[in-house]
Amino acid sequence: MKKRKKRWDSVEILAFIALTVLAILIIIPFWNAVVIAFETSAAYVRSPFSWLPGEFTLDNFKYLGSKSSGLVRAYVNTIRLAVVGTLLGMAVMVVTAYAFSRNFPGKRPLFLIMLFTMFFGGGLVPTYLLIRNLGLNDTHTAIVMLSLASTYNIIVLRNGFESVPTDLQDAAMIDGANDFTIFAKVMLPLQKPMIATFTLFTIVGYWNNWYWPMLVLNSPDKTLLQVFLRSLITNASQMALGTEITGITDTMTVTYALGIQMAAVFVVILPIMLVYPFLQKYFVKGTLVGGIKM
Amino acid sequence: MKNKKKSIWMEMWHSRYIYLMLLPFFVWLIIFHYGPMYGILLAFKKYNARRGIWGSDWVGLDNFRRIFITPMAVSSIRNTVLISLGRLIIQFPSPIVLAILINEMRGKRLKKVYQTIFTFPHFLSWVVVSAILTNFLSLNGAINSLLTWLGLDKVNFLTNRPLFVSMLFATGIWKGIGWSAIIYMAAIAGIDPTLYDAARVDGATRWQQIWHITLTGIRSTIAIVFILDVGGLMNAGFDQIFNMRNAVVSSAVEILDTYVYGITFAASPNYGFATAVGLFKSVINFALLMLANQTVGWLTGEKLYR
Repeated sequence: MKKRKKRWDSVEILAFIALTVLAILIIIPFWNAVVIAFETSAAYVRSPFSWLPGEFTLDNFKYLGSKSSGLVRAYVNTIRLAVVGTLLGMAVMVVTAYAFSRNFPGKRPLFLIMLFTMFFGGGLVPTYLLIRNLGLNDTHTAIVMLSLASTYNIIVLRNGFESVPTDLQDAAMIDGANDFTIFAKVMLPLQKPMIATFTLFTIVGYWNNWYWPMLVLNSPDKTLLQVFLRSLITNASQMALGTEITGITDTMTVTYALGIQMAAVFVVILPIMLVYPFLQKYFVKGTLVGGIKM
Repeated sequence: MKNKKKSIWMEMWHSRYIYLMLLPFFVWLIIFHYGPMYGILLAFKKYNARRGIWGSDWVGLDNFRRIFITPMAVSSIRNTVLISLGRLIIQFPSPIVLAILINEMRGKRLKKVYQTIFTFPHFLSWVVVSAILTNFLSLNGAINSLLTWLGLDKVNFLTNRPLFVSMLFATGIWKGIGWSAIIYMAAIAGIDPTLYDAARVDGATRWQQIWHITLTGIRSTIAIVFILDVGGLMNAGFDQIFNMRNAVVSSAVEILDTYVYGITFAASPNYGFATAVGLFKSVINFALLMLANQTVGWLTGEKLYR
């Protein structure tokens, strides 16, 4: 017997329409940016929005690829920093999370000392002065140190370790294993998927890091991707705003800069798009949700 | 008594490897999180670079008094509170609505595709998102060319002050709605499906089911997210505003964080005052978090931390 499909009721149709509109609203600006990155400024002036590049060009990318633009330098720096920072940060976070999943004297006060930093901090000036006083100004070390570990991630990772039945650890303990061995041989392998997820999240975090890099890194050869993109945009948008206020439309300069901007945006987003499917695989399962309650 | 004391030491010795594992993190935490808290002393001092934080002269509460007699500081407090309240009213409910809509829509595959789209912007920085959306909303951009094509007037989304503030909410939703909805969707998934069956038998309409089962079922999640949001009331979204603002709207969206940034990196910075403004902000945030936690806990029995 064939099961007849029930027709969509009004709520389902409403939901479908609302969600479709939202999806379109999210995609269109991206699409617009990508098209501008691949078209000539003349084509952009003719039509600020087109479904496909009006006149295809790779000039914007050629400029960004040239040595003088500084993008390649920033790219290499960012990758290097993301790898080193993530390895170091994950090592610290996983080990700390595991320790907090065990019972030991002083656990609660230490946990509260950690938790407090999630809601209270010294603020901009004291942190900035600390970095300067430690002689870390204009170093990548400063960037890693300022975002080494996240309390939130530690708590979620700890919840993961806590979900492992204790008999497993007790059995290992009886066999004469110490805490280090249990951690390395029993717990780590069990938590591989979760650790992989957080590794990706941490890498993306470094990729998107702009605030402290902007404040701390002064040498052009040390710049990171987001800072590079930001200065590219602020320079260009000041120019664009000038034309909007004065009415003097030097459209060619403005749009030329816009093409390069959008090309840079494209190049910065691309790696995130590549890892996105792996990110998504885990976060929907609610790995991250458990942590919101402490 | 003596016995118990001894056993504590025994226990600690037994846990020595645990302490060793915690050591690197706490060394880092003390230097890079509690270290700056020492610098908070500056809020009560007049900073003198040569004499350092400890050597600078005490000025008592002068820096704090100055907050309330500096017009820019006062207006940045007002802007912060207004923008945050706007976010609580407009942005806060949006992911709840989204989660319910996704739950109500049919088609597993389609749901998945949509969610992929909705969550993606969360993984981009405000530097990137601001570049994309500023271009999209600018006077020569796509939206305005669409308006022209429809025979309508161009709209100054980014250089008209009230409009710019609404654009903060709109772009905030654009970037965050999908990600923020995940927690609600997880909560909805945890609702007992037999409740819906029972309601249907009783003749409840779809809307009644949404109201009485879905929303009621995720009430505690809503409460927790609300507590956290209230605890960030004095933030108002620095990353977004700092990247999206321009010279025309700057003063209208000057919030505490951008104000602190401005006076810290001014030609002649006043570190003491900047620290005081920052501390003022963090203390209020912390107090609000505690207050929201108590109030919501008292109203719904749901608490972030006991």
